[in-house]
Amino acid sequence: MAINKQHAIDPDKCTACTICITACPVTAATRKFRGPKMTGPALTRLRKLVSDDDPMLDYCSNCKTCDLVCPSGVPISTLNMIAKNEYYKTHPRKSKADDMLAHSEKMGKLITALPLGSTFANLGMSVGKSFGVMGAMGIAQDAKMPSYASESFISKFKKIKQTPYPRKVVFFSGCYINYNQPEVGTDLVKVYQKNKIEVAIDENFVCCGSPMVSGGYIDDARVNASKNTALLKSWVDRGYDIVTACTSCGLMLKQEYQELFDFEGMAEYAAHMYDSIEYLAKLHDDGQFDTDFANDNTKYIYHAPCHLKVQAIGRPSMELLPMIPGIDIEEADVGCCGISGSYGFKADKHEIAMKVGSKLFNRIKNSHAKLGVCECGTCRLQMENGSGVKAIHPLTVLRQAYGL
Amino acid sequence: MLKTTVVVIGGGATGVGILRDLSMRGVDAILVERDDLGYWTSSRFHGLLHSGGRYAVKDKEAAKECIQENTILRKIGRHCVEATESIFVRAPEDSEEFEQEWVKSCAECGISAVPISMDEAFKLEPNLSRKLLSAYRCPGAAVDGFRLLWQTVASANKYGGKAMTYKEVIGIETENGTVVGVKIRDRWTGAEEKISCDFVISASGSFAGEVAHLAGLSVNVKPSKGTLIAFNHRICNRVVHRLHKSSDADIFVPHGSITILGTSSIDSAPDDTSTETAEVMAMMEIGKITFENIYDYRILRVFAGTRPLYSADPNAKGRSASRGFVALDHAHDGINHFMSVCGGKFTTYRLMAEKVCDIVCEQLGVNAKCHTAEENLVDDPSPDLISRAKAVFPSYGAELASSRLGNEKLERVIKRIETQPEMKELVCECENVTLAEIEEVASEPTSHTVSDLRRRTRLGMGTCQGTFCAYRSVGAVNKENMPWAKDSVYLFKEFLETRWKGIRPVLWGNMLRDIELTRAIYDAALNLSGVEEIK
Ligand SMILES: Cc1cc2nc3c(=O)[nH]c(=O)nc-3n(C[C@H](O)[C@H](O)[C@H](O)COP(=O)(O)OP(=O)(O)OC[C@H]3O[C@@H](n4cnc5c(N)ncnc54)[C@H](O)[C@@H]3O)c2cc1C
Ligand code: SF4
Ligand code: SF4
Ligand code: SF4
Repeated sequence: MAINKQHAIDPDKCTACTICITACPVTAATRKFRGPKMTGPALTRLRKLVSDDDPMLDYCSNCKTCDLVCPSGVPISTLNMIAKNEYYKTHPRKSKADDMLAHSEKMGKLITALPLGSTFANLGMSVGKSFGVMGAMGIAQDAKMPSYASESFISKFKKIKQTPYPRKVVFFSGCYINYNQPEVGTDLVKVYQKNKIEVAIDENFVCCGSPMVSGGYIDDARVNASKNTALLKSWVDRGYDIVTACTSCGLMLKQEYQELFDFEGMAEYAAHMYDSIEYLAKLHDDGQFDTDFANDNTKYIYHAPCHLKVQAIGRPSMELLPMIPGIDIEEADVGCCGISGSYGFKADKHEIAMKVGSKLFNRIKNSHAKLGVCECGTCRLQMENGSGVKAIHPLTVLRQAYGL
Repeated sequence: MLKTTVVVIGGGATGVGILRDLSMRGVDAILVERDDLGYWTSSRFHGLLHSGGRYAVKDKEAAKECIQENTILRKIGRHCVEATESIFVRAPEDSEEFEQEWVKSCAECGISAVPISMDEAFKLEPNLSRKLLSAYRCPGAAVDGFRLLWQTVASANKYGGKAMTYKEVIGIETENGTVVGVKIRDRWTGAEEKISCDFVISASGSFAGEVAHLAGLSVNVKPSKGTLIAFNHRICNRVVHRLHKSSDADIFVPHGSITILGTSSIDSAPDDTSTETAEVMAMMEIGKITFENIYDYRILRVFAGTRPLYSADPNAKGRSASRGFVALDHAHDGINHFMSVCGGKFTTYRLMAEKVCDIVCEQLGVNAKCHTAEENLVDDPSPDLISRAKAVFPSYGAELASSRLGNEKLERVIKRIETQPEMKELVCECENVTLAEIEEVASEPTSHTVSDLRRRTRLGMGTCQGTFCAYRSVGAVNKENMPWAKDSVYLFKEFLETRWKGIRPVLWGNMLRDIELTRAIYDAALNLSGVEEIK
């Protein structure tokens, strides 16, 4: 099916100012990439005219830094993703990893469904690496892959006994939290309960589709978008707000769906969507945020994920976490970590990803912080991988400060 | 002193067509053009290779000529023609009876017009207005004016035909009532020289009256100006016509990376290529019937050309004057071996040349037949050359560059990149023009300005309209071995002024923002206007 949102493939807003090129982390890391202006709006015009080999498309990590800086509101990264989707309809894929990384939910389901599946999968990752299996698959040999949890968040959630409150949210956990770091999800429930919020989940939610879009599988993402949109709309109709604790899921559901697809109800539910910390910050604005914190004398360094920045919601974590008595937290503020979801796991992109992230890694090391803080799961992995400093979700910092 | 058999005045479609035809028949000929090839109407036009559909009801002869020439040019000029096909659409405001008459007429003229459902039409062209009622597919196409002229000249060159640019004919010399030569002046050096010849053909388009005047004659051309609006991207992938009695602003032509809407019809001076904002707005309102979201699309620029309409009756005006072409033999006016050719269409340029050359050859006693329909203008690049091009050009560059450069020049450009890989850097990012191509074209003797490079390469014709490629290209040509490119300030001004001329009437929205950026670079940073420092 064709992309039917006309405005999304319209290159007319670009004034060729080149600002996006100066901000793109991948362009800074490799001369092989011609950057957002060319790959996005400029070539969109030519793609309507001729077709050709276009190796440039794979370089864009969909970090969306370009969208953030563009003074003309060009959906640059979306133009890139649409072009990639169209391109691979007629050109063979270079890497076998694309499919696997784009459909991470399939993998997650498979692994957690097996008894001891996660143990074997995690073992398999390291054994596979040493035998070069991952390399043959197109996965970077020395990239640290996300490990799988032995029990999914959904299964853990069902065992939690919550106090019912009139303020209710539905939590879209997303694949990473569900299969890889369920403790972020359970931290959310604890922190929200402390703030008199009742948390619901919906087992029918499917992967938001973010990795599919980045991988150039927009048609697959469309199927997921259609399912999620209907479900999310029905929760909002029942008076629920929606929260996510993964900024890529949040961005996808709130903004990218609308750029790419045309389903009934998207704008309506999006008005009720919040990042998990943003939601608490809103509570704080209304004087309802619980600040009954214990001391935390740890030194932290906070990294704002690209997909949070582009949501234009400020830095809610840097509003709330400094309220914890004794805390020492600073923002890294040196741009992209390089991983961009699954980008940094690909064999031919790993080096670029590490180069992009090098500023952040040095910043973390030089800060002498004990822990990194970040809302995005794969960013946290990249921070640990590059700097050796462990990184946690801001919800975890709050949960600890509440003494829960 | 130069000597030849025939001098052709005017390097538009008509003139180059005649040059090629004569050369292929073995007649010695030189073409003299006052400006660059295609500087006037043959580039300031709509770029539509007519299927004939537009004329089917009103002028069956013209329609038949169009479909015949369309078929020939698709073959011999395949590197200049984008064989897009066309769609005729009827809107609620268009008459149904006309549709029926049109279908019948197309059949009579041998123009294929295949009715399609509106669903199919919207699938083919998603931006079409949902209010449209019926649609037909026809064999229209887009044709690149600059490219067709240069490739026609390249073909003439193979047979000894020569074209000189920036040479203005300032006198036509006769002896005993017969032409013996022309006097020309070099537009750059001012030097004058004579070309002696046996025959002069004036193919000077809207200027035919002025040129005839040089021989003391009068030719009654009524130039009629038409404005064209260029949009930043391909709104449609096929030519889209309104299915009604021909009128203003009823055709959209996808052209390379852009779309052109046209046109209008206003009596004008031959050199009037100005456009008023009000004219643009009036055309947009009509265009909206075909593409309902037209105001969302960014206008890149506007341009205008004048139709060289000939009329024997000095009082006939505008669109109703005959579109057919005339070949006036001035023997009737007392000067032998002097003809004026004007009118017609770009689409039928080859046929017009054939008819004119039949007359000329008869007078010169040459028996050779016309072969212009049988031979391609330029050879196709070999698969080997194409794969070499693919290896060195940036993405989306190889195919476009090969069709605009032609074989030999393509090979030279490829060599430049093969020996100096940095030559593949883009000077123009919007239209994907490499440094190698700019340097190659700049080194040709026909290049005198950056606008000349633009006409050969599409440099500066994309989204930014010269903002970034102006300083890059001026920098690239300002070299020892390019004597024409010494005065950078002149080069900047000439290039940017011609770009801005087309933008001023449509200076709003994103184009206004774009031009502010241009001003910041050229006026603020480079102080091109030469403002004194404020103490
Ligand atoms: C707005 C518009 C849209 C059109 N759209 C289409 C279309 O879509 N399809 C189509 O088939 N046709 C179209 N036409 C018609 C077509 O463009 C013209 O019929 C054709 O280009 C005329 O070519 P020409 O060579 O006769 O004139 P020109 O291209 O004007 O060439 C005449 C040349 O003579 C030169 N000259 C003048 N005086 C001298 C001198 N003293 N010495 C030396 N040289 C001199 C001029 O510099 C000029 O370059 C359109 C016309 C207009 C105005
Ligand atoms: S999304 Fe990120 S990597 Fe892609 S072009 Fe934009 S800034 Fe560069
Ligand atoms: S920042 Fe926006 S307007 Fe500027 S070049 Fe990039 S896409 Fe175009
Ligand atoms: S972006 Fe969010 S839902 Fe989607 S794969 Fe990541 S974790 Fe899954």
